[in-house]
Amino acid sequence: MRIRAAVSATLASAGILLAGWQSGAHVAGTASAAGSTAGTTGIAGGSVSSGSAGSAGSAGSAGSAGSAGAAGSAAKAGGTFVGDVVQTRFGPVQVQITVSGGTISDVTALQLTDDGGRSVQISNYAAPLLRAEVLQAQSANVQTIGGATVTSDAYLTSLQAALDAAHL
Amino acid sequence: MQPTSELDQPALKAKVFRCMGTVISLTVPAGREPRTAADDAGLGDAAAAVERVFVALDARFSLYRTGSEASRLARGELTLRWTSREFQDRYAEAARWRLLTEGAFTPERPDGVPDLSGLVKGFAIQQACIALQSLGLRDWCLNAGGDVLVSGSPIPGSRASWQAGIVDPLDRGSLIAAYPLGGSTGPGALATSGSAERGDHIWVLGGGASEFRQVSVAAADIVTADVLATAIVAGGPAMLNRAASAWAVEVLAVRHDGGLLATAGFRA
Repeated sequence: MRIRAAVSATLASAGILLAGWQSGAHVAGTASAAGSTAGTTGIAGGSVSSGSAGSAGSAGSAGSAGSAGAAGSAAKAGGTFVGDVVQTRFGPVQVQITVSGGTISDVTALQLTDDGGRSVQISNYAAPLLRAEVLQAQSANVQTIGGATVTSDAYLTSLQAALDAAHL
Repeated sequence: MQPTSELDQPALKAKVFRCMGTVISLTVPAGREPRTAADDAGLGDAAAAVERVFVALDARFSLYRTGSEASRLARGELTLRWTSREFQDRYAEAARWRLLTEGAFTPERPDGVPDLSGLVKGFAIQQACIALQSLGLRDWCLNAGGDVLVSGSPIPGSRASWQAGIVDPLDRGSLIAAYPLGGSTGPGALATSGSAERGDHIWVLGGGASEFRQVSVAAADIVTADVLATAIVAGGPAMLNRAASAWAVEVLAVRHDGGLLATAGFRA
């Protein structure tokens, strides 16, 4: 009796893992799509691709749904999913996403340290900023001026020309 | 005792020359006062070396010079196979960047004519850097029509960085941001591309209008900064995020309405 229970429990958990894996993979598709639409989520290069087994809680809920199709809707409803480890220029990165109501509500980096154990930046992305929030400059305290290529004629009235004139 | 303003502002001297349809400025610390003839001769030699680099590349790659290799190729008098090794190398480099930017940067005009002007100015700045290093110059700032590469510091022997201002594309008489280059900060290159400046400069993917009026990219090397700035103007926000996550760069993008998108390095 005990053995039977153990075997069926094992089978059940294998089933749950499989369903969880499938739902993870399914969510990976939705997740990367959501990421690129949002444009600023900054998930480095599809790090949530082909999700491996979800965390215990989510695999459980997906597993209870039973079939792959239903697992998809379960994933849409919500859960936590862990991506593969991806090599980036910041080092190996693994992220976990939390999905609720079909959208990503949170992205957590699971590997956040480099070889020396220091925390590393895992993503770099552009965020909307107000003008007051960027590094400020007065033309009086810069030594050079960057800008889209000016023609020789436009140069004559440019800030760079004024700087150059002061240094000739 | 010196007035405070002179203590705040490093003393600099500059030489300018015209090439590639724009103006190139080489700026170096002025050194000790009074300036000697030997000091000025040093800057003159350095500027002449930089000018030689630019003039040689312009003669080969300019589509505005009817006799250039680029123009002969555009007219069909040459095929790529019969171009010089230098031309082929630049073409190969541009083609590599097209792959890396998934087509946002391209070495060809929409009519199929090879156009390496998006790459050649950055390459000229890079080659000028080698020339300046071989002359033994440590502290300098080279500005070619708004693209900047620096070495060292405006205050010799210090860790102070060069401060670059970035022009506000909606008001060219004012600055929208600053960015420190060189000194102790590392990356020394800042390139800016615009969709409104030289209309022939950037082809937008899909033929539409660019979402960005101006894009500035700071990187360790000028070719990367220049190519990615061009690619982001052409490729829009998707290319911006791809560039920011795949390369060690900082980006400041200005939308047509003046709105800004920036990576952390541009944040005050």
